[in-house]
Amino acid sequence: MSWEPLRQRQDKVVKTLTNSIKKNRLAHAYVFEGGRGTGKMEIALQVAKTYLCRVTQDANPCGECKDCRRIDSQNHPDVHRVAPDGQSIKIDQIRGLQKEFAYHGMESDKKVYIIEHVDRMTVQAANSLLKFLEEPSDATIALLLTEQKHRLLDTILSRAQLLTFTPLPTAALIASLQEEGVSSHMASLAAALTNDRSEALEICREEWFAQARDKVIQLTEELRNRPNQVLVSLQENWLSFFKEKEQLDYALNLLLIWYKDLLFIQLSEPEHLVFADQMQALEQQALHISQKVISEKMRAVLTAKQRLGANVNPQLLMEQLVLRLREG
Amino acid sequence: MKFQINRSHLLEGVQDVMKAVSSRTTIPILTGIKMEVHSEGMVLTGSDNDISIERHIPIEEAGNVNIEVAQPGKIVLSARYFSDIVRKLPGETVEIEVGERFETTLRSGASEFNLIGLDPEEYPRLPQVEEKEVLMIQGDLLRQMIRQTVFAVSTTETRPILTGVNMKLEEGVLTFVSTDSHRLAKRIASIDNSTEGLAFQNVVIPGKSLNELSKIVEESSELVHIVVTNNQVLFKTKNTLFFSRLLDGNYPDTSKLVPSESKTTLVLSTKEFLQAIDRASLLAKEGKNNVVKLATIDETNIQISSNSPEVGKVFENVTTQSMQGEELKISFNAKYMIDALKAMDCSDIEIWFTGAMRPFLIRPTEGETVTQLIVPVRTY
Repeated sequence: MSWEPLRQRQDKVVKTLTNSIKKNRLAHAYVFEGGRGTGKMEIALQVAKTYLCRVTQDANPCGECKDCRRIDSQNHPDVHRVAPDGQSIKIDQIRGLQKEFAYHGMESDKKVYIIEHVDRMTVQAANSLLKFLEEPSDATIALLLTEQKHRLLDTILSRAQLLTFTPLPTAALIASLQEEGVSSHMASLAAALTNDRSEALEICREEWFAQARDKVIQLTEELRNRPNQVLVSLQENWLSFFKEKEQLDYALNLLLIWYKDLLFIQLSEPEHLVFADQMQALEQQALHISQKVISEKMRAVLTAKQRLGANVNPQLLMEQLVLRLREG
Repeated sequence: MKFQINRSHLLEGVQDVMKAVSSRTTIPILTGIKMEVHSEGMVLTGSDNDISIERHIPIEEAGNVNIEVAQPGKIVLSARYFSDIVRKLPGETVEIEVGERFETTLRSGASEFNLIGLDPEEYPRLPQVEEKEVLMIQGDLLRQMIRQTVFAVSTTETRPILTGVNMKLEEGVLTFVSTDSHRLAKRIASIDNSTEGLAFQNVVIPGKSLNELSKIVEESSELVHIVVTNNQVLFKTKNTLFFSRLLDGNYPDTSKLVPSESKTTLVLSTKEFLQAIDRASLLAKEGKNNVVKLATIDETNIQISSNSPEVGKVFENVTTQSMQGEELKISFNAKYMIDALKAMDCSDIEIWFTGAMRPFLIRPTEGETVTQLIVPVRTY
């Protein structure tokens, strides 16, 4: 299995990694940083395969031997994957890893651990992880995957090599979605939300998502036309629809994109619009609002997103957000 | 794969390997038992990634045919379901047949089960051991050596290497050492059955694995073969192979810790002393290191005491068989002392003190096979 398809997506990262593999100079820890769907996990697994496959040739793992196949099926005894257990990565999970790394490998001396969403570690877990990033054993590679590297401890960042994954060109993604028969306005919206083609496709195919989009547009309309009603309709339409935390996060992302579109209208760059089919509504709203106010509103949405991550009650969160959006 | 097997033999084998299978595992394939059938018999494997147990069932044993192989092959079956099914099957024999996509049929008597199997290629590979450098030891001696050392391994993960027992072989002498940095247990035994010139030093076996191992090794003089590889150690009995992963790192040098001379030497009856300590520890507090005090009175008496201000005090005189050297007052953790005395296996012991702040040594009056070292507790 060659690095080639991955290289097309993440040229710089793949080049760095393959060069260090060829020179046998892989670092003991990497932080893979990049947005959703930029291929962090694929590349992490590819590194694990290259490292553990016994017939690796010219930095390309074979992809067919027992080692490679078991890495794919998560059955490899020397590859340890940790993902958040619920909200966060708990200290017990890191302790389990630590215990694992006090032992010799099961089949060879080489061990790889992949931690998804490292930013979601609890403080204790992060400090515990730090302890064994500081004293790496020879044949161990740590791959830490994150979407928000700013939430990592500086001390962790300073002990790992940082590789930044570039987002895919949005235009290419939209085009490929349209080839699949997705309508242009859904395609641009999905592409704005994620970088991963299969995830984008899933978003487009889901009925829920089309409805969510309408809800968001409806909310912005109401904020302008009937600001006094908006708290009531929030209760009636919104909260019952966006029940889960992830769903609410999507909704906030959509809202953010909406305000971004307003900015584009004011800057007269309509070619960047995501809600392109809502041109009329956007133009109307843009007339009544200054750029400064828009940026303030965007800040309000971003704060709400942050609070959502900190487990704030969704109803209170939305009410506060709506009140702040109504002000301008 | 298709074969027929005597149910009780299969059940016995499955129960043996089940000891290694853990219900909490992050690797899905390890929830299963691997079964491999070839012309010489059948091999069952269970593993939780730390320890792995392999059990052989020969085709023929003492003239009885255990297995009839129609077609060799291998399969991984869910350990939980498979063991329950085998236990409750009605017939005396079980017929097992595996189809192309790992669907497995178990037939016995009038009942038939269809189980969905897993790909055996996914199962971890155990090290292929060449039996060139083998150490052989009697089963009962091995069990004794484990029992006398494993209690002293560290239970905290602050220094992972100390959670294991250090196994060393030099010039035909096998040494087990364990320590949690407050106490140390050491057992030596001379081995005459090992491969010529075989020696190893930094082999550290997790205490947990050794506890499991002693459940498997039989209390008999039958020989257990020990083979050390890079990552794992293998203990082999007649039909069972027990693999354990080794701890990574360098075991601290413990040889310099053991004092070679004594300022005060006591000789005591193990049982009497143990009981006295045990009684005194009733008032000693867990949270405060279980402190018990020992003070010499005269040539033939020592006093054991313990004091918890809010509970009460205890004093007890214990007769010694001899006392040589300086007078002494020392405090130590009663739990460590009890553990050490229980592991002594001899009627009389000798305790060597080199001052109230220095670790003291306990050993049998005869022979030097067991050595226990305890660090005293500082009291005011």
